[in-house]
Amino acid sequence: MEKIILVVDMDAFFASVEQKTNPRLRGKPIAVIGSGGRTVVTTRSYEARKYGVKTGMNIYEAKKLCPDLIFVIGDNEKYTYTCREFCRIYNRFTPDIEVYSIDEAFLDITASQHLFGGPEAIGISIKKSIREQFGINCTIGIGPNILIAKLASDLAKPDGLMWIKQDDMGTALENIPASELWGIGSQIEKKLALLGIRTCGELARAPASLLRSRFGILGEILKAMGQGIWDRPFIVKEEDPKSIGHSMTLPTDISDREKVETYLLKLSEMVGKRARKHEYIGKTISLTIRYADFETFSKQAKIQDCTNDTHVIYERAVKLLDSIRLKDRIRLLGICLSDLVKDTNQIPLIEEERRRRSILQAMDLINDRYGDFKLTWASYITQKRNAGVISPSWRPSGVKSVRVK
Amino acid sequence: MKVVVSKDEIQEKLSNIQNIVEKRNTMPILSHFLLDAGKKESYIIATDLETALKEPLRIKVEKEGKICIPARKMFEIVREIEGELIWESVDDQWIKIKAGASNFRLACLSSKEFPAWPGMEDMEEISVNAKVLMETIEKTVYSAGESDTRYTLNGLLFHVMPGVKITVVGTDGHRLALIIKNIDGNLKEEKKLIIPKKAAAELRKLLDKTEENIRVTLCKNHILFTVGEIQFLTRLIEGTYPNYEQVIPSNNEKKIMVQREEFAKTLRRVAIMSKERSNAVKMDLSENLISITSSNPDIGEARDEITVEYKGEDLSVGFNARYLIDILEAMSSERIVMELQAPLSPVLIKEEKNEDYQCVIMPMRI
Repeated sequence: MEKIILVVDMDAFFASVEQKTNPRLRGKPIAVIGSGGRTVVTTRSYEARKYGVKTGMNIYEAKKLCPDLIFVIGDNEKYTYTCREFCRIYNRFTPDIEVYSIDEAFLDITASQHLFGGPEAIGISIKKSIREQFGINCTIGIGPNILIAKLASDLAKPDGLMWIKQDDMGTALENIPASELWGIGSQIEKKLALLGIRTCGELARAPASLLRSRFGILGEILKAMGQGIWDRPFIVKEEDPKSIGHSMTLPTDISDREKVETYLLKLSEMVGKRARKHEYIGKTISLTIRYADFETFSKQAKIQDCTNDTHVIYERAVKLLDSIRLKDRIRLLGICLSDLVKDTNQIPLIEEERRRRSILQAMDLINDRYGDFKLTWASYITQKRNAGVISPSWRPSGVKSVRVK
Repeated sequence: MKVVVSKDEIQEKLSNIQNIVEKRNTMPILSHFLLDAGKKESYIIATDLETALKEPLRIKVEKEGKICIPARKMFEIVREIEGELIWESVDDQWIKIKAGASNFRLACLSSKEFPAWPGMEDMEEISVNAKVLMETIEKTVYSAGESDTRYTLNGLLFHVMPGVKITVVGTDGHRLALIIKNIDGNLKEEKKLIIPKKAAAELRKLLDKTEENIRVTLCKNHILFTVGEIQFLTRLIEGTYPNYEQVIPSNNEKKIMVQREEFAKTLRRVAIMSKERSNAVKMDLSENLISITSSNPDIGEARDEITVEYKGEDLSVGFNARYLIDILEAMSSERIVMELQAPLSPVLIKEEKNEDYQCVIMPMRI
């Protein structure tokens, strides 16, 4: 049976939520930004897009393009709440849902569409419910797989609905630039262009041997993508996480060792706490540093005993820092725990460590109840709050469900 | 410099230093050994800055000299050659190697670059039998940590008492092994020295070749073992070792007597189905019986039983099977004694009728 996949993509999600909750922002060019001193545009309203304001621009660039632009500091709690509510709507039509990101979801409606009058009827119902409940527009794309459904939603944006059927795929794809396909980024686009391939039609007709010699195994996948064939499975149940990490752009570039260490402690606590909450321990700790000039690199170290202890993570990160000769001020710091396994619950032999573990447990309980960092290490108190931009990989459940309060 | 060496003499000496010379390319000089050829005595030294090995050489010195030779390459050359070799330095940078019709030219480094043998302070000496020392290392080294952030755990504690007794301890924070032995010598006061795990493992290999007494020179920052003619020096790990005496449970009431080998075999069987890394097995203890189970949701389950000598209440405890197996393999008595108290309290394991070798493991929460 032909599969029917439906993609729901929110239009300017964060900006739409802000415009809905604050009537004075409606119809105006707005940009949602983080709360830190130097943040970037995370989403901009359709009114702002007309001026050329783009995601990732800093405040000054954006303001130059659109002097009337209103900056709104993002409220992550609002977005995560709304995203969870959307899932309830999707659930009325199918249980097979993958929340791909905070503003995008994939629904497999193959088996259930006939109950609701067909794919388009489902799309219209979802649009209507979201509009009525939240006052937000979204675009629906429908197709025989995620690749095509996603393309349909991209083509139909904003506030649209498009269904590309299996039989119409060839015609629909023929003149579409290959770079419009999900997964074909600027690097692959450049390489394809060198082979004279620009559209999906050209990609579909390109000799498999040519693509394979240029891209290896990926070549065959690319050719199939040009034909609109792609069988990425749904990730309905969250897979075991490979890593748990946090990073933050600092309010100002720093080089002071003590300050760097304080941020490392905070990041270690964020990583450790999340790992403890989901009962994972990890063997590899990596430290990411971005210099003021945006040069970014990571260094990692393995430890013998898997851990999720804030202090062990912190000490390893500091040791990694010791091994680096800093050549510039630091703009961003990140810590990541990987090589994860489920916590073995091995009890430590040394009394002090059992005590430290109990302290962490107690801290976690208190912070779960009263909010993160309510009880924290004294050395962190002098620090300001971080920018607080929600990660695009946020999910409504599982390890990626970071609390944003 | 010009010397004549026999393959038999040099191959063994070069083999001894292969694990000490640095394989990573951080400091090129550390991948070399120093050859000091003198009319009176000749020796080679290799070091990784933590440990150093000095071996005298019986060679014919035609012309005296010192040079640093790549350890790995020279070892490879010697292995492939029969009979005698002639080493002749061209200058500071090159030596020629000749054996029959074979000729090599090998790039070297100046002897001036080689790290100096450290000075020794506050020396005191004790004497230990090689086999006894080897036993203390073998029975504790598996318990020691590796690249742990609590760096003192990455070594073995040598606790030397003036009453001519030595206690060697290894722990990785989850398990601990301790062995007590008598030694000869006279110390002013007790000493606690932490020897890096890698150095202990290297020393163990050297000890394998002799039955004699080993001279152990204790210093402030170093410890020197004289094994026959070979001198093995290692830097000590600074810091305070955890209080091991506190960790050993003294009043565990539930005592079990069990056949060592049978117990190890049973554990190995059950561990096949345990979760990777955690190796968790559950032991249900009842009168004269332990049943051991494991399960892994992705693979399946296992259950096995072993009869033991035990009278008392039932008890269920979770363990990392690897920790138990390591201990059982290190022990040598036919039967062992396991002393437990509660599901989450430390467990003491001893050889039957031997109080001088004690192992402790901490259970897992199951």
